[in-house]
Amino acid sequence: MDSVDATEHYDTTIQGVPPSLLVIVLDTNPHAWALLSPTLPLSKAIANILVFINAHLAANHANQVAVVASHCHRAVWLYPRAPSSSEDVEMTDQTPPDLNDANKYRPFALIEDSLLASLRDLIATTTEDDIATTNTTQMAGALTLALSYINRATVNFSDADSSSKTASTAIENPENTSSLQSRILVVSVSGDLAHQYIPIMNTTFAAQRLRVPIDILKLAGDTVFLQQASDTTKGIYMQLSNPQGLLQYLMMAFLPDQTSRKHLVPPTQQVVDFRAACFCHRRVVDVGFVCSICLSIFCSPPEGAICLTCSTHLALGDYGAKPAVVARKKKKKRRINGAMETPSGSATPAPVE
Amino acid sequence: MAPPPALAIKASAAYKKKDGALSITSDQKALQWLPLGAQGLGKAVTIAVANITNLQQTPESAAKVMLKVFDKSPDAAEPVTHLFHFNSPSNPRGEANSVKDVLTSLITATKANDVGVGKANGAGGASAAMAIASAVASKQGSGSARWYDDNALKVDIELQQSLMKKDPALHRTYMEARRTKPDSTSDSQFNSQFWSTRTSVLRAHAVDINQKKGAYNVLSAVKPRQVGGELKMNISAEQVQLIFSQHPLVKRVYDENVPKLNETEFWSRFFLSRLFKKLKGERVSEEDGTDPTFDRYLDASNDTSLSPTLLGLHIPNTINLEGNEENQGGMSRGNRADFTMRPGSAAKVPIVRTLNSLSEKLMAHVAPSDIDPAAPIGMDEETFNALALRDLQGDPEENRIMLNIKEQSRFFANEKSTASAESALYSKQVPSQVQSALRADIDSTGMGDHAGGAFDLGSAIGVLEESDSEEEEGEKQPHVGSKASIAQAQKQILEGIKARRMEIDGSDAQSSLCGLSQKIFDRLTLTHATTTEFLHHFWVIFLSGDADRAGELERVVETLERAMDRINSVAADAEKEKEEVILKQKQHIRDVWEKTGKKTHWNSNSVGGGEKIVKEMMEPTIRTLQTATREYRKALSAEGIDAS
Repeated sequence: MDSVDATEHYDTTIQGVPPSLLVIVLDTNPHAWALLSPTLPLSKAIANILVFINAHLAANHANQVAVVASHCHRAVWLYPRAPSSSEDVEMTDQTPPDLNDANKYRPFALIEDSLLASLRDLIATTTEDDIATTNTTQMAGALTLALSYINRATVNFSDADSSSKTASTAIENPENTSSLQSRILVVSVSGDLAHQYIPIMNTTFAAQRLRVPIDILKLAGDTVFLQQASDTTKGIYMQLSNPQGLLQYLMMAFLPDQTSRKHLVPPTQQVVDFRAACFCHRRVVDVGFVCSICLSIFCSPPEGAICLTCSTHLALGDYGAKPAVVARKKKKKRRINGAMETPSGSATPAPVE
Repeated sequence: MAPPPALAIKASAAYKKKDGALSITSDQKALQWLPLGAQGLGKAVTIAVANITNLQQTPESAAKVMLKVFDKSPDAAEPVTHLFHFNSPSNPRGEANSVKDVLTSLITATKANDVGVGKANGAGGASAAMAIASAVASKQGSGSARWYDDNALKVDIELQQSLMKKDPALHRTYMEARRTKPDSTSDSQFNSQFWSTRTSVLRAHAVDINQKKGAYNVLSAVKPRQVGGELKMNISAEQVQLIFSQHPLVKRVYDENVPKLNETEFWSRFFLSRLFKKLKGERVSEEDGTDPTFDRYLDASNDTSLSPTLLGLHIPNTINLEGNEENQGGMSRGNRADFTMRPGSAAKVPIVRTLNSLSEKLMAHVAPSDIDPAAPIGMDEETFNALALRDLQGDPEENRIMLNIKEQSRFFANEKSTASAESALYSKQVPSQVQSALRADIDSTGMGDHAGGAFDLGSAIGVLEESDSEEEEGEKQPHVGSKASIAQAQKQILEGIKARRMEIDGSDAQSSLCGLSQKIFDRLTLTHATTTEFLHHFWVIFLSGDADRAGELERVVETLERAMDRINSVAADAEKEKEEVILKQKQHIRDVWEKTGKKTHWNSNSVGGGEKIVKEMMEPTIRTLQTATREYRKALSAEGIDAS
């Protein structure tokens, strides 16, 4: 019966390149940009990223883009803009920009306008107090926003895609080649994310499960965990030796989507720093102590050998006992970094002997 | 496992630095220590065997022979330990062992009577493991118990030999490590050191070789071949035995016919007969030749030996189908059983029936491993649980270990002690300046003012197609998007791609040797393995904190120093090899030049290998060696001993 009612041809989906969603997480830490501005001011970086976005959108008519700012105290949507009261205020404040510029493709102009407007908004609302009280960036929050947006976009896409499969299956089987291919690009300028170690690793594992690669473009600073994020999710990690060539990096290394990447050799830097931050002092540790119950990491045995996270009483074994040469009591023996035979010169924290 | 008859077990042992005699009382209920001489009689120690929760003994290799007894009386919370030092001048080890052996068997006997004791002892992991080991031992005999005992594995030379025979790489490492061990370490010490890190491998091997192959379907295993009309086959005596035990009918046929037929003729005719096909479960077709000797037995039953064993089995009523039959009162209704399950002639689905009955027979011969033959017949709790209809019961109570997670932000947010280099830089900046600079940058005309709207991306990215020449770049301040910066970016990306490509394609065998000859490379691998082995020992001993092993440690450190020498010697040989290659090549060039007058350009740098490569390959190992020696020296000097 199925073969004669001629509905068959409705079911066949067009076997083209699946559209991709690019979510850019832009680190707008004012401190870091102020440091970087002699070589690469934020405005120039935005211009380069806009060109990159346009290239991404031009590659496929169904391609989508979203931009999140990871600011000093909060993570903010730059595009699409959050529907808020600010839009009304804007109308009274300024003349609506002319989107009918003949020299610009309208979709590009729309995004550019919206992105610039929200960025100006963001900078304008950043008070001196905001800058003074913190010197870090809300990377974990921004990544979470990006992932939730990807989730929504995937559900929307598979709903709109008319085929019978339900939204949930589309999320659970991102291998499904006809579904939306999402990826995250983090443009990072600030270092020292150790205090966000746990939230960042959580988002990383969420992204890994959704098979969303996290690409890292590192303009300045060094963060261990973003490196791990890209490694875990099979994204591309690049620490720019020359930030002024940003556009070249963006276009050459980060433009291909997952479908094309299957056939390309990624230019990612292969040495990954797998170290973790301890839960007690936020230090990045080479060799540490791990709670056998909840896997919390400590740089030194917690006070009274009681795990700070789960309150389990831990036994330390005879580790750290005085060496057999009958010497005074040593605090701790650790193999120094170089003692590890991994090419990265360090290793994951070994469990306590 | 019955306790041996009351022997006069007695050993001279010191307790709390007093000489005395350790003995087991004649009623075998207590361990008794009496001090020598009359003056200390009041200090005699008596430990009830029933209260002993654990025994610990110094290892066989140790010089001192000591026995630690954990005594936990029922009303005490923590066990009390008694340490006896065996100091007999002639044979302390022997005396200690005899005392320990008797004690062990006494304790096992006591525990067998009172299982609860074994579970209640809380003297730590070691004693728990011991309790398990002894529980298993008491059940299945001592044969399998040694798999659980690390010490037994470590001294089982036969087992180690057979393992090394199976694993040549391990054998090589062992031999090399043994050859280069310090002379002061005795063979047995070395052995126990070497195997102490590999007890898991030994255990796996012990379990492996102790598994036996069970019976198999022998008729299908015998494959007679027809060569020129004659039947050729090989059956072993063992196979004949199996055939007889699996197919009693064949035994009967053999009994009744063999004096008449000769042996080989019997078997060759049997494998051609219809009977053989029937027993194997194949369909008998008309073309099959007839053989009056064997065809007589076609309808005879093959199942004579099975029924008694089946009848002897106790089948729980809940799964006893025959029992169900009875309960139905002979009224069989509903769906009929599947035709393979119906009683009836074997002719219908011969293969299924034959295989089923054969499997039953095979299983009947195997002693069940999961059933304690000593257990009372009838349904035990476990069987009942297995048969219970769990779907009809309510949800089981959740049985999870609670993990109390504390608020993590508490110890995240407050501390700012560790400032990274970046945050130090950030904190130097004046917030107001940062703010104004950022605003100025964003509001600059380049970003498009509010009125004009359009943002000229072309100029903003700074790529100037015509004017940018390389010469100009040198003078000007490089700007964003300049040709030089783009060229640099391209270079970095291409380098990344190249590195990744190398990784993905992998390097072929030739290049992974880095120009070393296979021989040198193998030597290097071996040197590396042994060095790692000694390093392992070093850290184990060094971190053990056991002052008694200080001497041992010293010797291991000597070995580490010699490990460095060994690496150097490999490097020297590699260098020699490289020079030989270069010499040969130079000679060749000279020859060519003399013969033809042609000069060949050749760079000696193109020859790989040599000392440099060896050092590069071994660099991490060399660093670990240095670290180990450094740590050792540090500990020495901390103690006030001059390391040199």
